[in-house]
Amino acid sequence: MGILFSRMFSSLFGNKEARILVLGLDNAGKTTILYRLQMGEVVSTIPTIGFNVETVQYNNIKFQVWDLGGQTSIRPYWRCYFPNTQAIIYVVDSSDTDRLVIAKEEFHAILEEEELKGAVVLIFANKQDLPGALDDAAITEALELHKIKSRQWAIFKTSAIKGEGLFEGLDWLSNTLKSGGG
Amino acid sequence: MSGHDSKYFSTTKKGEIPELKEELNSQYKDKRKDAVKKVIAAMTVGKDVSSLFTDVVNCMQTENLELKKLVYLYLINYAKSQPDLAILAVNTFVKDSQDPNPLIRALAVRTMGCIRVDKITEYLCDPLQRCLKDDDPYVRKTAAICVAKLYDINAELVEDRGFLESLKDLISDNNPMVVANAVAALAEIQENSNRPVFEITSHTLSKLLTALNECTEWGQVFILDALSKYKAADAREAENIVERVTPRLQHANCAVVLSAVKMILQQMELITSTDVVRNLCKKMAPPLVTLLSAEPEIQYVALRNINLIVQRRPTILAHEIKVFFCKYNDPIYVKMEKLEIMIKLASDRNIDQVLLEFKEYATEVDVDFVRKAVRAIGRCAIKLERAAERCISVLLELIKIKVNYVVQEAIIVIKDIFRRYPNTYESIIATLCESLDTLDEPEAKASMIWIIGEYAERIDNADELLESFLESFPEEPSQVQLQLLTATVKLFLKKPTEGPQQMIQVVLNNATVETDNPDLRDRAYIYWRLLSTDPEAAKDVVLAEKPVITDDSNQLDPTLLDELLANIATLSSVYHKPPDTFVTRVKTTVQKTEDDDYPDGSESAESSAHVGDGITSPPASSSSVPAAARQADPAPAPAPVPDLLGDLIGLDNNAIVPVDQPSEPTGPPLPVLLPASTGQGLQISAQLIRRDGQIFYSLLLENNSPVALDGFMIQFNKNSFGLAAAGPLQVPQLQPGTSAGTLLPMVLFQNLSAGPPNSLLQVAVKNNQQPVWYFNDKISLLPFFTEDGKMERTSFLETWRSLPDSNEVSKDFPGAVVSNVETTLDRMAASNLFFIAKRKHANQDVFYFSAKIPRGVPFLIELTLVVGVPGVKCAIKTPGPEMAPVFFEALETILKS
Repeated sequence: MGILFSRMFSSLFGNKEARILVLGLDNAGKTTILYRLQMGEVVSTIPTIGFNVETVQYNNIKFQVWDLGGQTSIRPYWRCYFPNTQAIIYVVDSSDTDRLVIAKEEFHAILEEEELKGAVVLIFANKQDLPGALDDAAITEALELHKIKSRQWAIFKTSAIKGEGLFEGLDWLSNTLKSGGG
Repeated sequence: MSGHDSKYFSTTKKGEIPELKEELNSQYKDKRKDAVKKVIAAMTVGKDVSSLFTDVVNCMQTENLELKKLVYLYLINYAKSQPDLAILAVNTFVKDSQDPNPLIRALAVRTMGCIRVDKITEYLCDPLQRCLKDDDPYVRKTAAICVAKLYDINAELVEDRGFLESLKDLISDNNPMVVANAVAALAEIQENSNRPVFEITSHTLSKLLTALNECTEWGQVFILDALSKYKAADAREAENIVERVTPRLQHANCAVVLSAVKMILQQMELITSTDVVRNLCKKMAPPLVTLLSAEPEIQYVALRNINLIVQRRPTILAHEIKVFFCKYNDPIYVKMEKLEIMIKLASDRNIDQVLLEFKEYATEVDVDFVRKAVRAIGRCAIKLERAAERCISVLLELIKIKVNYVVQEAIIVIKDIFRRYPNTYESIIATLCESLDTLDEPEAKASMIWIIGEYAERIDNADELLESFLESFPEEPSQVQLQLLTATVKLFLKKPTEGPQQMIQVVLNNATVETDNPDLRDRAYIYWRLLSTDPEAAKDVVLAEKPVITDDSNQLDPTLLDELLANIATLSSVYHKPPDTFVTRVKTTVQKTEDDDYPDGSESAESSAHVGDGITSPPASSSSVPAAARQADPAPAPAPVPDLLGDLIGLDNNAIVPVDQPSEPTGPPLPVLLPASTGQGLQISAQLIRRDGQIFYSLLLENNSPVALDGFMIQFNKNSFGLAAAGPLQVPQLQPGTSAGTLLPMVLFQNLSAGPPNSLLQVAVKNNQQPVWYFNDKISLLPFFTEDGKMERTSFLETWRSLPDSNEVSKDFPGAVVSNVETTLDRMAASNLFFIAKRKHANQDVFYFSAKIPRGVPFLIELTLVVGVPGVKCAIKTPGPEMAPVFFEALETILKS
């Protein structure tokens, strides 16, 4: 019975892939998160000049996850990927306190985008395994998340290396999307 | 306008591009694939779909190989038009180059090589490096070719990243295909570089010979081409190499056969044993003959190459002349080439057979072919003395057929035969005269008139015959007019009777007063003077014995032949032109600071990326006023380097090759011409130098001003040598406190100034930030001395004697002293002043040198001195004595340096 039910469910959602962008400054851990989600393991990465795209199935939802390079030279091209996006995962290196200001500016610039008006926002305060990493509250403060109006958002403490917090975030995302938040 | 009208601007219909865009972003894989196919289809028919760049690139990360290939194809085509967005593809390339599937790895690396976008080449080095060491030979082979392509885009990068070393390592690869492609890549790089990049050593030689037997046919061609450039150490080594290569002659692919022939011919030059050479010649004949049973197009290529081969080694095909007999259904271009080779192979042994063939060809329908056949008979007559009579009888038979163009052609060649065998066959003149009225072609007419004039004393009615031509004198082409003039003079000198005397009056009048042709007029006046001053002298001149001619038509100059033979199986050997006359290559050299060896001048590393041969570049400028300081007309855009390696469709060859101009390495400081104090902080030092047979203006610009300077341009005023820039000045933006050096290729005889030669060179340099700067440079004659200035002793003596004493100028250099003869001679030789001879005169040594400046003006130099004692006396003789002051200045700098 349970199997039958889930099949019906997947027929409802399975065809539809949710398009998700993973954004953030360079060296925030985007690519590591992507492959941790997709393969469940930590891969060694090099700076992404361009993009990675993988399909991640979770909670009966297929996520088409686009991991875009975070280098200054590539950030201008993020906008090419904005149309039809249901959700954004914004990854912040919680230990890189020096660049939090830049992270905040980029983040709010994204929120301003017309094409992303309907997208829900999930923030990963990544690299919690590093000493001196700020917690979610501090990141919320630094990114001025309270300024977000009329949009669903959530922040999770994560460590891509240890695999902590990622699936909690995805849980929130899938629930939000299923309930039509996206 | 009412608010409702806005509906006309928003349409529900979408254009093709937005529709495709939507499909490309579809969540269904099949739909995306179809969309990419549609995009490629649109691209192929020439629609601009570059606006879909990101959408297509987003389909790049896919498991589907077909889709991936399509996206790659799109990328190659449009990366150049979207250089910024191309960066988005980098990560996928990097990933693909590590894909488990070797096909994908190779595909990635091949596509990377085809994307000529500067911004992304740097990111591609690491993947390329990895692929060069890949486990899979297909990937390694593809990577090797990619290095050559990368070299074309950014030579410096290739050298800095050690790709050349990796390529050289691949020559020792265990897979023959990899070896062949590495060789191909290195050869391609070598052709684009001034530095020795690829030299076959005895170690690589054995690797190549081993790989040769195992790799594919085209791989064999690459290896054979490389081997043909190898200089064997001695005859034994050459024999060994040839022995290993001989089996390639049996290959079914004609490219392999021709490359093997080329290689063997090159090595044969070293082989001394006549037995071995004879044997090799025997072995080369059958494969060459086999080529002639292929399609006509291949036959043509083979024939053009054989034409060269028989000029060097006639014995190879001496017994095979029958293969070159024309078949009735051969295309005309094949027939013409066969005819040419038949003439070359004709010998006393086979001439009867050949003549029979020629006679038959002369009765065919194609006019050009018939003419050539008739000429061929004549050329055989000139070539083979013993067969001359038979040839002439065939020609007479042909004349009797009375086909107009055959007769005319025959008369032209018979004139040459008369020149070759004087006083032998004049009996046939009567037969020729019968056809006199039918001649209407200038060359035939001129020939006939020459014959009449030359043998006027044997032709009873020579005056009548000539007179018949004279009536139409003013209407005749100049060729005929000139012959008529000469023939009439000859007639008059031979038969100074009344008739000819009247004729000569008419002709001279016609040829002086009535004509506009200066050649004709000059010749007529010379005859007139001669005849009026001393008729006997006129006889000696006009009726002098003529040297016997030989058949040298269609014979190539030996050095050219050498070059063409080295290029057998290329376009060059088909055109019979050296490659640099029709291929423009951008020579790039990357210098490495550690091996700069400027003072010796032996390294050509600093020669900048100049376009082809600067001398042949178009005039640099028409402006004569430096104030205009216009940028010299840019040299023609570098023609694309033929990318023989491009193996993906849609490959765009029009890629520009922006190569950073290597800057001048540190050397002896250039003289400062514009001090910083005058140039608002800009200091310019410059000097004319000669490098690799070309003149360059070596410039060093130093920016001591507080602002960055850019947009440098240069202009030269008219000068005695017509020096002008062969291309634009290539100087990057100069930040404050930095300097940049450059070598500007120069051309001569472009903007010549009038008046006696002087050494003043006025230069104007401008940039975007400052006013135009003018400065003067002194032209030294040193860079003008050409490498071919060496004279043989005999010709030196002859030239010395032939020049009048008024052309001799001498000068003393009291301060100059030669303490070591050897070093002075070396120094002179380095400046292309070539030592001829030395003699003792009293206690003094007298040295003779020769030198040459462009346009062939030679200088004969005599230096008189006592070693170790100050005071050198120099005397020069030259057709251009007005150059003497400038020459002495140049000499003084050598003597005093």
